[in-house]
Amino acid sequence: MSVLRGFLWLLVFLLLGQAIVLWLPIALPAGVIGMLLLTLWFCQRGGMNADVVAVSQPLIAMLALLIMPGVVEIFFVAGRFADQAGAILTALLLGTLASVASSLWLMRRCLPPEPPHE
Amino acid sequence: MSELSTTLAAVPQAWFATPIGAIGLTLAAYFLGVRLFKLMRHPSWCPPVIIAALLIAAVIALLPIGIDDYNRGAAWLMLLLGPATVALAVPLYQQLGQIRALWKPIVLTLPLSATLAACYAVLIAWLLGAPPEVLASLAPKSVTSPIALSLTQELGGSTALLMGALMTTGITAIFGVEWLSRWMRIRDPRLIGLALGINGHALGTVRAFEISHQAGAFASLGMSLTGAFTAIVLPLVWHLWA
Repeated sequence: MSVLRGFLWLLVFLLLGQAIVLWLPIALPAGVIGMLLLTLWFCQRGGMNADVVAVSQPLIAMLALLIMPGVVEIFFVAGRFADQAGAILTALLLGTLASVASSLWLMRRCLPPEPPHE
Repeated sequence: MSELSTTLAAVPQAWFATPIGAIGLTLAAYFLGVRLFKLMRHPSWCPPVIIAALLIAAVIALLPIGIDDYNRGAAWLMLLLGPATVALAVPLYQQLGQIRALWKPIVLTLPLSATLAACYAVLIAWLLGAPPEVLASLAPKSVTSPIALSLTQELGGSTALLMGALMTTGITAIFGVEWLSRWMRIRDPRLIGLALGINGHALGTVRAFEISHQAGAFASLGMSLTGAFTAIVLPLVWHLWA
């Protein structure tokens, strides 16, 4: 029952997010707004709701499963961009490696080292 | 005999007439993908998601059903993405103390990292002569898929190409973070998590949760901040240029 109650809380915050998105001038997804609201609610009550914790673990473990259907579609539309494939792949591979390198470098310079007790 | 074969041929259509067929196929492919991933000794260039997606694509190609039949059913499963995103508040709250202590360096580095993630790819593709439609599909490649989809529609890109770009980026980022952090001797899970979340959106975040809870929390933070920042800045910059 705890999991279902937690799921209801998630839905309530998702619905709140969907309502707030209507008032925002930019297109942010309702889920992200809901996540921020839920974090704020935890801060305000000074702790987490046990039901939400119970439902969040299996849901987060499912994230990979939930993005899979989107991946399947690529195999069926790849042909449309075949003539651009070289430019697209080079941009994605080199661009991503470069951005990973620069973010790691930036963060290492700016983040203080982790306290040794952990 | 022929009656039996016509009845057999009708079975897949009956399965995929309701979402049950697509959901069952997705779950089965997922567990098979995870098992194959373990058998292949955890290759970082081929996460279980890709193996499972290939299995699903093969099944769809073999059975007398189309990708649209599958998508209609799988949409029910993808509905859970909304509540799952909200559930990320739990790891975020658990790491709030750590994040609060580090808010200054994060605020300083994150906008620059998020900007670079979009700029490198667009610049390379532009230099190689890609048309605006392709550039608009590549620009939001490091952003979590719900934000990226609404962004690319606003910029005039292709949704399908964006999904492909998202997956390629996610896998490259996972591989790149693993390889470059070893090369740069970075072991801090907070740093690795942030880099995975900023560059590799949901795929990177899933990988970060496999490393540790802390890395996962920082990855969700990196992913949400990159998403929010890009959602605000990218349309503004794009319309100034175009």
